[in-house]
Amino acid sequence: MIRYALGRMLAGIPVLWVVATLTFALLRFLPGGPFDKERSLPPEIMRNLERRYALDGTLGEQYVDYLVRLAHGDLGPSYKYVGRDVADILADSVPVSLALGAAAFALAVVGGIGLGLAAGARRDTAVDRAVALGSLVGVSAPSFVIGAGLILVFGLGLGWLPAGLWEGPLYAVLPACTLAALPMAYAAQLTRAQVVAVMDQDYVRTARALGVPEARVRRRHVLRNALLAVMTYFGPLLAILLTGSFVVEKIFAVPGMGRFFVTAVTNRDYPLVLGVTLVYAVLVVVANLIVDLAYAWLDPRIRVGNTER
Amino acid sequence: MTARGKIGAELVLSLALLALAGDRIAGYRFDAQDTAHALETPSRAHWFGCDALGRDLLARLCEGGRVSLVVAVGATALALAFGLVYGALAGWIGGRVDALLMRGVDVIYALPDVLVTVLLIEVLSAALAGLPDLWRRLAALALALGFAGFVGVARLVRALVLQAREETWVEAARASGAHPARILVRHVLPNIAAPLLVSAAFRIPAAILSESTLSFIGLGIQPPFSSWGTLASDGFEAMRSYPHLILFPCVAILCSLLGFHLLGEELRERLDPRDRP
Amino acid sequence: MPKRGVLVAWAAVLALACVRGSERAPARELRINLETEPPTLDWNLATDGVSIIAIEQLMRGLTRLGPDLRPEPDLAERWEVSSDGRTYTFHLRPGVVWSDGVPLRAQQFVDSWQRLLAPATAAEYAYFLFGVKNARAYNAGKLADFSEVGVRAPDDATLVVELDAPAVYFPALVNFTVTFPLRRDLVQRWGDRWTDPGKLVTLGPFVLDEWRHEYRLVLRANERYWQGRPPLDRITAYMVQEGSTALVLWEQGLLDLVHIPPLEIRRYATRPEYLRCPLLRGYYYGFNTRKPPFDDARVRRAFALAIDRSQFPALLRGGELPWSSWIPPGMPHANAALGLRFDPERARALLREAGVDPARLPPVQIVYNSDPTHKLVAEKVQAFWRDNLGVRVELVNREWKVFLKELSTDAPPVFRLGWGADFPDPDNFMNLFTSYSENNHTGWANPRYDDLVQRAAREPDTEERQRLYDEAQRILCEQDVPMVPLFVVAANFAVQPRVHGFRPTAMDRYFFEQVSAE
Repeated sequence: MIRYALGRMLAGIPVLWVVATLTFALLRFLPGGPFDKERSLPPEIMRNLERRYALDGTLGEQYVDYLVRLAHGDLGPSYKYVGRDVADILADSVPVSLALGAAAFALAVVGGIGLGLAAGARRDTAVDRAVALGSLVGVSAPSFVIGAGLILVFGLGLGWLPAGLWEGPLYAVLPACTLAALPMAYAAQLTRAQVVAVMDQDYVRTARALGVPEARVRRRHVLRNALLAVMTYFGPLLAILLTGSFVVEKIFAVPGMGRFFVTAVTNRDYPLVLGVTLVYAVLVVVANLIVDLAYAWLDPRIRVGNTER
Repeated sequence: MTARGKIGAELVLSLALLALAGDRIAGYRFDAQDTAHALETPSRAHWFGCDALGRDLLARLCEGGRVSLVVAVGATALALAFGLVYGALAGWIGGRVDALLMRGVDVIYALPDVLVTVLLIEVLSAALAGLPDLWRRLAALALALGFAGFVGVARLVRALVLQAREETWVEAARASGAHPARILVRHVLPNIAAPLLVSAAFRIPAAILSESTLSFIGLGIQPPFSSWGTLASDGFEAMRSYPHLILFPCVAILCSLLGFHLLGEELRERLDPRDRP
Repeated sequence: MPKRGVLVAWAAVLALACVRGSERAPARELRINLETEPPTLDWNLATDGVSIIAIEQLMRGLTRLGPDLRPEPDLAERWEVSSDGRTYTFHLRPGVVWSDGVPLRAQQFVDSWQRLLAPATAAEYAYFLFGVKNARAYNAGKLADFSEVGVRAPDDATLVVELDAPAVYFPALVNFTVTFPLRRDLVQRWGDRWTDPGKLVTLGPFVLDEWRHEYRLVLRANERYWQGRPPLDRITAYMVQEGSTALVLWEQGLLDLVHIPPLEIRRYATRPEYLRCPLLRGYYYGFNTRKPPFDDARVRRAFALAIDRSQFPALLRGGELPWSSWIPPGMPHANAALGLRFDPERARALLREAGVDPARLPPVQIVYNSDPTHKLVAEKVQAFWRDNLGVRVELVNREWKVFLKELSTDAPPVFRLGWGADFPDPDNFMNLFTSYSENNHTGWANPRYDDLVQRAAREPDTEERQRLYDEAQRILCEQDVPMVPLFVVAANFAVQPRVHGFRPTAMDRYFFEQVSAE
């Protein structure tokens, strides 16, 4: 298991390196640098600026310098927030996005699997149809539709929950629900399909025929296989949630990374854009690693040997 | 065809009609401003009401739908085209080429797709500076979304091609000395068309969703052009007092996504029996 | 999954929500929306309204403007002017201390004004004090010794200012943020970060407690404020950019004071919580006169003539008043008769005369800062230029901070900007477009205009002053047209009933030390 974990971790490093190199290339070649275009600056100030933005030296030297800085967690200075480093700017917002993403993930996993199990076990009843309809809406409605709807109903109509800001745990409810809607719907559909499939498989029927109690049959075989199938989807999902969803953070005025990303793109603040991209890439790699490990733990066939998945 | 399939097909066909007709359905130009009617709720003159500048909402929805659909279909077509070539090459040639191409796919797959899309849109918009404004943005969006989608197609195609390679009639064709390209085109491709069609049916709504989300946050289509996403964004600002402004674009998006999903489900059941659980 | 357990859990959450809802309004705390991140809290450098709102709660100056826009004593207890009108002597109020206990001294004003005028600071508002003797030379680098500039502190409680020429409005001028006193020792110690919470030392009614960038700014009551501790304990200034979200939060009772988005004004106009305040604030579109096609005055005039201002009030519904000249109504020497009226025929003729073919012209860019009002106006102007001139227009929006930076480094071809009075005298509006004003982003310079404005600033005779300003406005708004005035604005607020004493002035100033909240 340890060897497997290490192996997966090492596999993530080349990905990060590619992302870092790509961002370096883009940063150097995209238009809109930090220098004033019309006001000509005295040479000493120009030299200072160049040093500050690491634009002195050859391209090779700059690249090595860039990688070294990255290894230390220095994402460089922002072009537009003069005097502030990208790492500073992100430091406050990453935990917020993580918290929101985690809340949405928990909701999606628990809610989705729960609904899927309920629907699969009560196939073709009203419950099943309700879940089917609900999940169809969930995958067909963009997050701003769901967000706007929730604000109107729970924020204004009933007045139960705040429509924005991030001042306490209650403020996370509406954004997390909005963020979790699509994955929850998808998870419910997947789980239900798995439940139906597994319950039809021979060994379950056999177990039932042999008189093994219903609950045990369900729990052991159905849940585990259903979970396994659904987890293949949850890997990329976790990463998307962790990024906080730009739309949700914008609508609900949540001070997370996604909001910075959108503003940075509009403002052409490329170091910030690319800093966010790198942070996301790291989160994706870590998320995939966690899912791979969880998958391996659940499915013993993978633990043995070093199958290339 | 099941009821589900019928509904899906009907929705999709209506959308296609909408895309072809554009704002002619409404009788107003989508950018004609008429301040006297600003923010009117649905009435006889304006069936879906008007926005803050007095522009007819139905006309804007039709025109916006055109834009959204063009982007979505374009992106899907590009994703299919890239993915087809890429996956076929990997699956057919195999060996080191396959390994290299698949490594590339893994790396791209690991990148968060929304970010890549956004960055690509910026780069492409700058690169395509020669085109007229709307086409520049549309092309950039279609290319970026297509790039984001081609990986899935490539993987699918590769798996299918690998499978097809083992078929006896393909072996026979190879043995008879036919040119590999000819074999690919004449024999392999027709067999994988069905799963690809199903894939397309699901990619289009995904592209509509991506584009409307990007446009909602301001990174997609720019004014004065509109897509359903920008219309929803405008409507969100006035949500409290004039809900009709956000209601209709949302319904439009919902219907289009629903339609394609239902159609996709139907197609999948009929054309792609391997996918049965 | 046990169903009953789930139901109980949900019931608990909902109960919590309802209970929580009732205690949403904390006593003696005010929650406002700044809408966007203030670019800076450094009062020598700040030029924009958002920064100024924050700074004015933290700091005060020699005088303050009352509701009738007359200067009232603030840090200066009283002042005298010499018989020739050129020398002002301000006597500082005793017992005023900074939040770290250091007493206020006249030298701190001198330090601040020196920093404002120093060429190395590159303050955009340096020209604000050009009326002071030798200030201009010092700022141009021609004078190295600041002691030759007409401001000095003969003792800790007295500030003497010598002007080049008599300026009756000078006491009103020193109400403005750039003239506030400065602690040079702290600026030297902390460098760029002297405005960070924990380092910033101020003497106004509030102190800076917390600054979470792009999210909120928290101010705490200053126990040492010379007028006594303000009734409010705390001000939390959020930065919610979406006006509609802010309005929903206000309706939920989570915010106390918000600007009403333009589309909602109609619905709020009859409610008791609505507050409208006409402002001395103009809204204009500027051209970058250094680049084609706007380097030709005929082209600029054509674009100005193609705008039908009468449509803006119906569009925006916020109490906007179409205005074709620059000095706003309510300000002395305003003249409603000046400026270019809507005349599309003449506009097209001018374009032809200038040799510009609208069909061949590359798309003109209008750049504005993100805001629903500016977007509406930009889309309207885009339609005007398209329908009346046949010109293609592209709209670009930027965040406020970035927009300001872009304006001062490489101004877009057409940009949107507003200007609110810094002090209630037309000079404040007219000197904006002089060649030496760093706030003039059009790149336009006209020596005759500069001369007229400077002469008018010191002209004591009202009729002559009117004549000078009329001629200057004709150059600005009818002949050279480096900018097109569109309308003057009013502020539209929604104020919670629990908030008392909020009285914004026509200068768009908020004195939160007068506000209390239950």
